[in-house]
Amino acid sequence: MKQFRSMTYPYVLWISVMIVAPMLLIVLYAFTTSGNDVLTFQFTLENFKRFVTDSVFLAVLWRSLYIAVVTTVICILLGYPIAYAIAQLGDRGNTIMILLITMPTWVNMLVRTYAWMGILQDEGVLNGFLGLLGIGPVPMIHTSFAVILGMVYNFIPFMILQIHTSLAKMDKNLLDAANDLGADPAHAFLRVTLPLSLPGVISGITLVFLPAVSSFFIPKLLGGGQYVLVGNIIESQFLTSGDWNFGSAISMIMAIIIMISMYLTRKADVSVASNGKE
Amino acid sequence: MAEEAKKLIQFKNIVKSFEGGQVVLKGVSLDINENEFVTLLGPSGCGKTTLLRILGGFLQPTEGKVLFDGEDICAVPPYKREVNTVFQKYALFPHMNVYDNIAFGLTIKKEPKDVIEQKVLRMLRLVNLEDYARRNVTELSGGQQQRIAIARALVNEPRVLLLDEPLGALDLKLRKEMQHELKYIQQEVGITFIFVTHDQEEALTMSDKIVVMNAGEIQQIGTPTEIYRRPVNEFVANFIGETNIIDGVMLGDELVMFEDKKFPCAARGYEKNEKVDVVIRPEHLDIVPREQGMLKGIVKSQLFKGMHYDTVVETRVGTSITVKMQVTQDKPVTNNGEKISASGFLLDVEDAGELDDAKVIALASAEAWDAETEEPVSIKTVSHGIRAETGEYDVTFATAAGTSITVKAIVVTQNRVESSVYQEEIFAMNFFKKVEDVQESIALDTDLKTWASASAWSLEGEGEQVEITDVKYDFDPETITPGIYDVTFATEGYEYKVSTTRAAEEGAEVGLVFRPEDIHVMRKKEGRR
Repeated sequence: MKQFRSMTYPYVLWISVMIVAPMLLIVLYAFTTSGNDVLTFQFTLENFKRFVTDSVFLAVLWRSLYIAVVTTVICILLGYPIAYAIAQLGDRGNTIMILLITMPTWVNMLVRTYAWMGILQDEGVLNGFLGLLGIGPVPMIHTSFAVILGMVYNFIPFMILQIHTSLAKMDKNLLDAANDLGADPAHAFLRVTLPLSLPGVISGITLVFLPAVSSFFIPKLLGGGQYVLVGNIIESQFLTSGDWNFGSAISMIMAIIIMISMYLTRKADVSVASNGKE
Repeated sequence: MAEEAKKLIQFKNIVKSFEGGQVVLKGVSLDINENEFVTLLGPSGCGKTTLLRILGGFLQPTEGKVLFDGEDICAVPPYKREVNTVFQKYALFPHMNVYDNIAFGLTIKKEPKDVIEQKVLRMLRLVNLEDYARRNVTELSGGQQQRIAIARALVNEPRVLLLDEPLGALDLKLRKEMQHELKYIQQEVGITFIFVTHDQEEALTMSDKIVVMNAGEIQQIGTPTEIYRRPVNEFVANFIGETNIIDGVMLGDELVMFEDKKFPCAARGYEKNEKVDVVIRPEHLDIVPREQGMLKGIVKSQLFKGMHYDTVVETRVGTSITVKMQVTQDKPVTNNGEKISASGFLLDVEDAGELDDAKVIALASAEAWDAETEEPVSIKTVSHGIRAETGEYDVTFATAAGTSITVKAIVVTQNRVESSVYQEEIFAMNFFKKVEDVQESIALDTDLKTWASASAWSLEGEGEQVEITDVKYDFDPETITPGIYDVTFATEGYEYKVSTTRAAEEGAEVGLVFRPEDIHVMRKKEGRR
């Protein structure tokens, strides 16, 4: 093993330059005032104070968390049955279905979101169809419905894959054993399949909640100007207002929220796992 | 067997075929009584586990019926059957502790909490794991998991417990312990155990009744003693313990002939001159001085086994043939920057008449190449005087540049040996081989057989192939030098495995004795019951 250790040095260098250094810069920006030059810094907590005291910003933060939670819940409710159904198929069916689920992610997320704009617009495909039935046009784009739809659509493959993996690796003998011990299929699912697939659900939550809470282009494209989430504020601080310090502070706040939520899910995962997981 | 006992389970002509036409069970009928310890014994793939899974409700039979207490249960789902299973790899629920695993069946039935606790604790006592209730099942050893799996099944008070090779994953010592424990538990709870295994010793130790299966069919049903002492066919005799099976002929009731000698025995009801298989267990044979022996032979090997010796006595030698192997070292001839090589070869008279150059080149493995570039050079002329008569001939190969090599070809007639005594014939040819071929051979015995085209067959009936079991030679393959060597091929003689406390030297001439009642006679061929 020892002779391989030196092979990790390039990666250590890569990680420090590409990940650690930018993060330190964000922290530095978040705690300083604007207009510093390379040598003199003015440290301040003003950026954070500004965010937590402004009710508009806080409302945006709550809205972001709310949207992310709703997205995650919908992903679980839709994704679990799909993953379960796929796991019941044979080997061939499994491969094909997983391929179909992952295929949309081969296309750029931005492109797919633009496609949804075309579908949801007042003159879009969906309203055109409803028009033929004499309904509408129903306003769909620029609503929270559109934003959540876009997020669910983009992030649900991660949920399905995680749950599917945990279902697929489950020992089928356990279900036979449950049946053998008197559990009908419903009980066997509730008492054996569901608890054993929870680790998959939990890592699915992590993979859906994180991008959902920090996403900025889905609300921008599908929510229109009036639907602002935290990601959009950060984006505008960097690109429009030019206030990198305030943008960094909001990023840090988000990072802390995400760290806390990851810690909580990790803890839930461990408590499920300690109850057994091989 | 207690014939009067109540029949609990009846398999009626069960056929099971899987997709793709694979037939796993070919019409199995079997009755299982109450409170019996029944073992389904057979090699893997014999259908024993399939039969068990049909009873558990996890598989549906393609044809036939399963009666439980007189009622057809084929349509009853597994969770409503009064049977519980101990699975091959235990299938304990990894997300529950020991207590919850055992309580699983009872909580499903919504029994009161205090009743569940009582029953679970009683089961833990039965399997000797009282202190383990709160342990995680993944922390337990194989033997402990095994016992939890048994407790989890038994706590539901099933009428039948199915055990699917439950001891397979345990080490030898633990397996022996669990054998006794299982038998004890079965007697303690007093229900029917159906135990699936491929281990004949396990079956003999624990069972009241053994069902020997092979290739989807039941071969024999009986008590361990019956199965061991009176196997009905060659398969059962071989599968259950070590045994000697000899071809014999019944001369009448209680008189059998084998090895051209007549012996009294206990078998009756055979036709006069019916061909039979004679079975004598190794422990029923004993070694005595040659003059006193009922059979005479030579000790081939003896292994010390602590309590006894495992001795092999050969009572007749096989048919053998000796051929010559000429080992050559074909040094390539060099000339004008070209190299040419070829080796001598043997030829059957019948093939010697029709030879073209290409065939001769192939037989001699002749090749020529440029010494520097290693590019092949074609062989232009082949000159030989080979005629369809036995003898030695010179064969010369040459390239256009005049590089040439001369080797010997030997034309022979087929060499065969007939043994009229045993009605066998054996054939092999003299052959040439290169030093490195012999040195580099990984399985020399097999290669020698191939090189010499050795084969043997019976002169009786349809001339069945007889296996050549013995290849003898007196050279060391690693240090062999060019020259001529003898190679002897022989078929197997009659050998008897003897389990005895008497020591005997290898090569000693001895006699064998046995008692008439220890001779067991079986009908030839697929003699089903």
